[in-house]
Amino acid sequence: MFSWLENTSLALWVSESYYAYPALLSLHIVGLAMVVGLSSMQNLKLLGLFSGLTLEGQSALIRLALTGFCLNLFSGLLLFSSQASYLVTSLPFLLKISFIATAMVVSVLIQVRIKSPQLESLSLKTLALASLLLWSSAIIAGRLIAYV
Amino acid sequence: MLESFAIAIVDSSLTQWIQANYWLWPILEIAHFMGLSLLIGGLLIVDLSLAGLLKLQPPVTHKLLPVVLIGFGINLVTGILFFYGDPMRYSVNIGFQIKMCLIGLAGINALFYHWKLGPLMADWNSESPPPLAKLIATTSLTAWMGVLLFGRLIPYVGTG
Repeated sequence: MFSWLENTSLALWVSESYYAYPALLSLHIVGLAMVVGLSSMQNLKLLGLFSGLTLEGQSALIRLALTGFCLNLFSGLLLFSSQASYLVTSLPFLLKISFIATAMVVSVLIQVRIKSPQLESLSLKTLALASLLLWSSAIIAGRLIAYV
Repeated sequence: MLESFAIAIVDSSLTQWIQANYWLWPILEIAHFMGLSLLIGGLLIVDLSLAGLLKLQPPVTHKLLPVVLIGFGINLVTGILFFYGDPMRYSVNIGFQIKMCLIGLAGINALFYHWKLGPLMADWNSESPPPLAKLIATTSLTAWMGVLLFGRLIPYVGTG
C-alpha cells in the first residue's frame, strides 16, 4: 500500500520536482510556528504567565492555529507520500505522529474545559503542561527523523 | 565581509568542536525550532492585536515580549553555533543572506514599534488602530514569515 502511494503521480511530483520538496518543507515550518507557537502561548498563560492578558475565547487565534494545523496536515501528507514506505518504519516518525495526535486531543480538552468551567476534575494546568511537553516531543521526534 | 569572517573562523576550535559532535547539530536544530515557536507564537498575538484583529488592547500584549525575546535569544545563540559549525557554507548561501537581511528589517521595525507606537498605545481604540500600527504589524509578520521560509530553504539553495 505504501509503495503504491509512493508511485502515485502526486508523490512522484514531490520527490522528482526540484521545487516541491523544499517548498513543502517551508510551508511545514510556517504551520509549525503557528500551531506550536500559539498553543505554547495559550499553555504558558494557563500555567500562570502573562497576567491580565485574555487569550481564552479569542476565536481568531484558535482559527489561526487550526489553519496552521491544516497547512501542516496538507504539506505533511504530501511530504509523507514521497517516502511513505520508509517513514512507516521510522520510529521517530511514528512517535512524532503519536505525539501530534495526542497533543490535538489535549488541545480539544483544553478548549472544552475553558468553555465548561464546571468540569473541575480536568485540571487546566495539567493539560497545559501535557500540551507543552507533547508539542516539544513532536518537534524533537520530527527533527530526529533525519538522524536516526 | 561575511565571507572574510567565515575564513577567519573556519579553523577555530569552536568550529572543530561542533563538527566533531554528531548529536550536537540535531540538538541545536531542535532548540532552534522551539525558539522560533516562542518567537513567532508571541509575535502573532502582538502583531495581530496591533493591527486591530484581536479583541486585545495592544499595551497588554507587552506581557508576551519577554517570551518573544527568550525565543529570539535561543535562536541567536543556536544560530551563531550553526554558523560556526559550517561557516563556509552559510556565508555564501543566498537563503542565509536574505534571512539575515529580513531579521535586520524586523529589528528596525521593532525599534519603530518601541519608539513610535509605545507612547501612543495607552489611549488608542484597539478596533481602529492608527495606520502606522497596521504598517508595523504587517512588516513584522511579513519579515518573520520570510525568515522562516528562507531559513528552511538554506539547505536547498546555493550561492545565488
